[in-house]
Amino acid sequence: MSLLQVDDLHVSVGGEAILKGLSLRMEAGEVHAIMGPNGSGKSTLANVLAGRPGYEVTGGAIAFKGHPLGQEEPEARAQAGLFLAFQYPVEIPGVSNMEFLKAAQDSHFKANGQAAESPVAFMRRVRTLADSLSLNPEFLKRGVNEGFSGGEKKRNEILQMLLLAPTLAVLDETDSGLDIDAVQTVAAGVNRFRSADNGVLLITHYQRLLNHIVPDFVHVLAEGRIVESGDRKLAETLEERGYAWLAKSG
Amino acid sequence: MAGEIGLEALQAPAWLGDAGLARCRRALTGKLARETWKYSPLGKVTQALLDAPMARGSPLVDAPEQVRVRRFTALPSPPECRINLHRYPLAGIVAALAGDGWLAEVAETPDRPLRLPAATPGVAAPLLLRVGAGCRVEIEETDAGASTIADVSGPQRLGEVVDRATRGRRSNKAPVNSPQVLAARAPEAESEGTSATHDNQGTLATRVVLLFLAQTAEVRWSRADLAPAREGWSLLAAELDEDASLTFNHQSLAAAFQRLDVSVALHGAGARFGSTGAALASAGAQLDLQYVIEHIGHRTVSRVKQHNLASGKARCTFNGRIHIHPHASGADADLSNRNLALSANADINTKPELEIYNDDVRCAHGATVGRLDDDALFYLQSRGLPTAAAQRLLSIGFLRDGLSGPFAEQAANSFLQQLSAATSG
Ligand SMILES: Nc1ncnc2c1ncn2[C@@H]1O[C@H](COP(=O)(O)OP(=O)(O)OP(=O)(O)O)[C@@H](O)[C@H]1O
Ligand SMILES: [Mg+2]
Repeated sequence: MSLLQVDDLHVSVGGEAILKGLSLRMEAGEVHAIMGPNGSGKSTLANVLAGRPGYEVTGGAIAFKGHPLGQEEPEARAQAGLFLAFQYPVEIPGVSNMEFLKAAQDSHFKANGQAAESPVAFMRRVRTLADSLSLNPEFLKRGVNEGFSGGEKKRNEILQMLLLAPTLAVLDETDSGLDIDAVQTVAAGVNRFRSADNGVLLITHYQRLLNHIVPDFVHVLAEGRIVESGDRKLAETLEERGYAWLAKSG
Repeated sequence: MAGEIGLEALQAPAWLGDAGLARCRRALTGKLARETWKYSPLGKVTQALLDAPMARGSPLVDAPEQVRVRRFTALPSPPECRINLHRYPLAGIVAALAGDGWLAEVAETPDRPLRLPAATPGVAAPLLLRVGAGCRVEIEETDAGASTIADVSGPQRLGEVVDRATRGRRSNKAPVNSPQVLAARAPEAESEGTSATHDNQGTLATRVVLLFLAQTAEVRWSRADLAPAREGWSLLAAELDEDASLTFNHQSLAAAFQRLDVSVALHGAGARFGSTGAALASAGAQLDLQYVIEHIGHRTVSRVKQHNLASGKARCTFNGRIHIHPHASGADADLSNRNLALSANADINTKPELEIYNDDVRCAHGATVGRLDDDALFYLQSRGLPTAAAQRLLSIGFLRDGLSGPFAEQAANSFLQQLSAATSG
């Protein structure tokens, strides 16, 4: 049973076809990188996996851990172990980051029949995680992503991933907007997260990230489909030659 | 109209004068009243006032020794008490019904906050609070307990009040102008079996506060209206001298008729008013907030931020009027009102009004009406929060953004309880 299996997926947004026959298969323990030009549909894939409203599946199928994903609500997918690190994390004024993280974890625990962790133990754990990502504990008291810099928002996404320990983490351009040190910090977090039981789908524009998080597979998404797949060398080729040669050969 | 008999029979206290009372009567049916009471039933409220029992006793509880509290009738002469009766005729009616007022004078910074229990049902004598030059005063206006009610039950409280008012009037043949009759009104109601003392729920709570801040005086007023079923009308009218500063924090949980008039006149140069408010209107609430801020002196500053959330069939009105007078050069006014509707049946009205007669001013005025943000909702759901929990968290976040002062946490808890009751019911 694959961790994720996407077959001939067609997705429309606002009546416009964005994904046009995308297929992808991931096994537990693997890291897949997806690269591709702006507007090719990378975030659309991420959003449709997470169950974002407004993304209409017009054809094909998605199976997560062997279960077909159809009309499931986003929360049900999250509770089942799917996590999306947003390309543009949302600011929520008036809700502290700590409160948000606790609510997220509690909902996971509740869905899985586990008792909620004591607030003290929880806070200690979150502080340790924040520390490992060089995220100042002060950020835990602030409104969710409120006034966070671009890089801080991305680190906050990784913090959530580490806290919720999903089986499939989809990271949508988590490296964008990170300084050189932060890329390493975030990469270290992802590498720590990697295990034989989970998988990571990395959406990125930069081969640089793949020096730190070594992918098992690299795919190129163009015009709504995977047009090329390979190992990490493919990323280097793309860095040198861009995407144009693929469009011509495809 | 039955109510007019009562109105005509009213007598003016000395500080209001017959002319003042006549003015109130005229204003009740005037154009301004129609505009400022567009979303609230002025006629019903007036009638409810006329039939309400008297609330007695000093409005200040356990006042610090630096505060001197006296009845108007105990003063050698009536205090000077300016009030815009054209705009606030109900204040005159309340004064006439009460036949008295309370003067509280602060000549020295008190050693602890002034406690003002939330208005109780009935007509209470106006409170005139004078804060002397340089004094700093904290005022806490709240009631101890607050309950929540589910969104499904939407009692038409004001209707009940009016029913009772009409019943009362039929049996109440005596004129309501003499102090003896006023004093006798409560027992009379009791004999009817619909006593306000036994069933205060349906009676209008009223409060009229006239606040004067002398030079550089500083007042921080925090108010928590967290009893959702209580109907109320209140007026806070403040006048500020040079460099005086008034901060007003207001939190309101409403499921019935609740109207608050705030009037601030920044007379002195450098006078400053800041207000932060959050209100949750649910069930059949009719929440009506009316702010009028007058910039009269140079370099006067006002900052108003109000967050209102309406659920169920609630009606939520905010009217923020900024008036910059010709001599108010350097005035700086900023007013923002954000509204969220949780249900399609909620009715939100927000009306910014600006009147500016000076070019050298900075004035920002913003009003928004919206729903919960879809992106934020998806973000929370994608972290595993069920839809209802995500909505609740966003709602409380929005409200908290409008909370500050000593009651912020208490209010947030009441809001959360109410939101939970509304979404789980
Ligand atoms: N809500 C929407 N309504 C209409 N069009 C949309 C919507 N969301 C995405 N699109 C369109 O779908 C296409 C794919 O967008 P998507 O965000 O998936 O691209 P991407 O590959 O992630 O690009 P980038 O590298 O810039 O992040 C774009 O042309 C975009 O304009
Ligand atoms: Mg994208």
